[in-house]
Amino acid sequence: MSTSGAFHSLTGIVKSIARYKKGMLGLSLLLAFVMVGVFADFIAPHKPDEINLAGGYAVPSWFKVIPQYRDLPENIKLRIVGSEWKAEGDCSRLTVLHGWILCEFVPEGGSQSSALSLVYPLEYPYSPPKNFYGEIAYNVTVTGELGSTVRVRLYIDAPNGKSYQIYDSGAISRNLTRVEPPVRFDSRDVPLKLALGFSPHDDLGEKIFAEKGLYKLRIAVYARVVEGSSVKIALGPVYFNIPGLAYGVLGTDNLGGDLFSHLIHGTRVSLIVGILASVVSVLLGLVVGVVAGYKGGVVDQVLMFFTDTLMFLPLIPLLIAVSVFIGKSLYLTIFLIALFSWMGFARNCRAYVMSLRERPFVEAARALGASDVYILFRHILPQLTPVVYITLVLNVPGAILLESSLSFLNLGDPRVPSWGRMLYNARYSGAFSRLLWWWIVPPGVMITLLAMSFVLIGQTLDEVFNPKLRARRLV
Amino acid sequence: MAGLAKYMAKRAIDRVMVLFVALVLQFALLRVLPYYVLGIDPSFFFMNPNLTNEQRELIKKAFGLDEPLHAQFVKYVLALFTGNLGYSFYTRRPVAAELMERLPNTVILLGTSTVLTILFGLAIGLMLAMKRGTKIDTAFISASVLLNSFPTFYLGLLLLLVFGFYLRLFPLAGSVSRPPPSDPVLYVADFLWHMTLPLLTLIIVGVGGYALLIRSLLITQLGEDYIVTARAKGLDEREIIVKHVLRNVLPPVITIVALALPGIVSGAVITETIFSWYGVGRWLFEASTQFDYPVVQGVLFISILLTVMSLYIADLLIALADPRVRLR
Repeated sequence: MSTSGAFHSLTGIVKSIARYKKGMLGLSLLLAFVMVGVFADFIAPHKPDEINLAGGYAVPSWFKVIPQYRDLPENIKLRIVGSEWKAEGDCSRLTVLHGWILCEFVPEGGSQSSALSLVYPLEYPYSPPKNFYGEIAYNVTVTGELGSTVRVRLYIDAPNGKSYQIYDSGAISRNLTRVEPPVRFDSRDVPLKLALGFSPHDDLGEKIFAEKGLYKLRIAVYARVVEGSSVKIALGPVYFNIPGLAYGVLGTDNLGGDLFSHLIHGTRVSLIVGILASVVSVLLGLVVGVVAGYKGGVVDQVLMFFTDTLMFLPLIPLLIAVSVFIGKSLYLTIFLIALFSWMGFARNCRAYVMSLRERPFVEAARALGASDVYILFRHILPQLTPVVYITLVLNVPGAILLESSLSFLNLGDPRVPSWGRMLYNARYSGAFSRLLWWWIVPPGVMITLLAMSFVLIGQTLDEVFNPKLRARRLV
Repeated sequence: MAGLAKYMAKRAIDRVMVLFVALVLQFALLRVLPYYVLGIDPSFFFMNPNLTNEQRELIKKAFGLDEPLHAQFVKYVLALFTGNLGYSFYTRRPVAAELMERLPNTVILLGTSTVLTILFGLAIGLMLAMKRGTKIDTAFISASVLLNSFPTFYLGLLLLLVFGFYLRLFPLAGSVSRPPPSDPVLYVADFLWHMTLPLLTLIIVGVGGYALLIRSLLITQLGEDYIVTARAKGLDEREIIVKHVLRNVLPPVITIVALALPGIVSGAVITETIFSWYGVGRWLFEASTQFDYPVVQGVLFISILLTVMSLYIADLLIALADPRVRLR
């Protein structure tokens, strides 16, 4: 234990680890992961719970350098305000105000039919998308005599001349507000598919945006106004989205969540779980081991019996059962991992304390009248420092792997974005049958690298301290 | 053999005590803690919501839920040991009946993988020990760092992705084809074909650790005096390894396998889930997603019982391989 004196400070320990090639590699890996974990909110473009950022199962956007993926659609998100529309029609008064288009139909003698047409050119340069969706807001005011009606329709005009009616308000004959909430239209609506003459299994996006070219979004307003009344219509901004099929660094999951953001945020979870679980398990092991080793006798036998019993229980079935009966939360997971992984260290500590207890310096302290507490804190615990450090580091990979396994079995906290959960989602939303390796491979690589960084540092520490007692657990 | 019988009797008492503590723990974690501390009532999932309070009380009484805890515990343990594991909330079948269908699959998978892992571990460990210091040896030791950091379930997923989905060499799920082949020979072949990937996963995960352990054990043994004596007698290297060294390496290897048993059972849950193996481990996973309390409880009991029984078998094997332990 002659070397341990030089390692009282953390910087001293880090410096001595960095002298080894293995240690340096481990430290740099860990530092990188810690940075990613700390700055996850800045590195990841999105929060982990954001969905519908792009279409489901989108491929990474850098795939577009490969010829076969070159034309994949990217997100098109439009907010079309009043002045962007090309308006044509026989309104008595046509105004554009705060992004709204106001049109008033007043008959000039007798009943009259009028129309307003708004056209927005939409250049679509990609291969066919799966879906599109959007919102349209309007406000109708009918005054005067009864009998006037107005009708709002939204069309998409394809370059091949076909025209698809996406929305029809029906005949409106009284005041109507469709602003809060606005009208939503979605290509996944089965009635819409049927109305356009497609089967419910067709993707409307694919059918309508079948070719590249200049499309037109067209709003058509038809009014039939009777004498002595007037119809005012206000059209708000139209939102039109075509979710892309190539998105972000790693594409999207089935719900259109950004996989890269999930991956980055997972770092933090794994680090927290690994380190906290390791600290708690080392504390538990230390207390049990030191008490058992120092007290000896019946206390020792009872404590070691419980230690051995816990060691012989199959951990994952037990954790599954507990999570079903008690519930799922991140801190419960950490606590349970710690609760079932301190046994090896307790045994090591006990053996070590038993040998220390018989050393002359302990005997001398006792002869001088030192209390048990004094001897423990002054003479025995400081001798355990190296073993504690090594175990602290070497317990982390086990906890990280266990947490990811539990999350993969859907036993983790469902609100927490962990790497195991990413793989669970991949398994159960068809990433395997679709061969989405960019979804499946990265989380596993991250888990392995993070666990490896701790293994490397732990092994280097082991070599640095070179303790008589190897804390290396059974493989 | 009197020594052996006495030793085994002593170990039997130890193992039964482990089982007892495990049962107390199971009862505390699954019955006492949720119901009496957290206020979760599992019977809520079982009873028809239209029942009146009086009817609920009657049902609870019929199941003994109104008795004091210690009486409930005695009932609980007696029920577990008489094979009365209750009825699945989900399928309404007796848990024990379905368990009997699934248990053979799990035992075959775990037994085969454990035996093969040890055999491969022995072979690789032996090879590394003979070639210690060479490039192969150092490469394997460096690779072990990676192996230690590799999640078991991820290995399974990768094997499934590559051999199942990309190359389509092996089935994606299940333990036999549907419908199963009627010819017994074909049936066995089909079963083995389905078992390949899960078996491979379990072996790859386990073999590295054993190989390194056996390597270091062998290297220690090869430096002992009795090896020098054997060499001096003119025995050939092969005979030394088989007759002298392996005999001495066996007891610690069995001990390590015994210590690894809980981990093997844990690993089976994950592997069976990944490959949809019709076994007990996957059942536990499915039951946990369906809040099927009796199944979870029963499978946990069976996995603890299996672990403890395997530990006892390991005790016997160690005692047979190393006569010294009987004197302890």
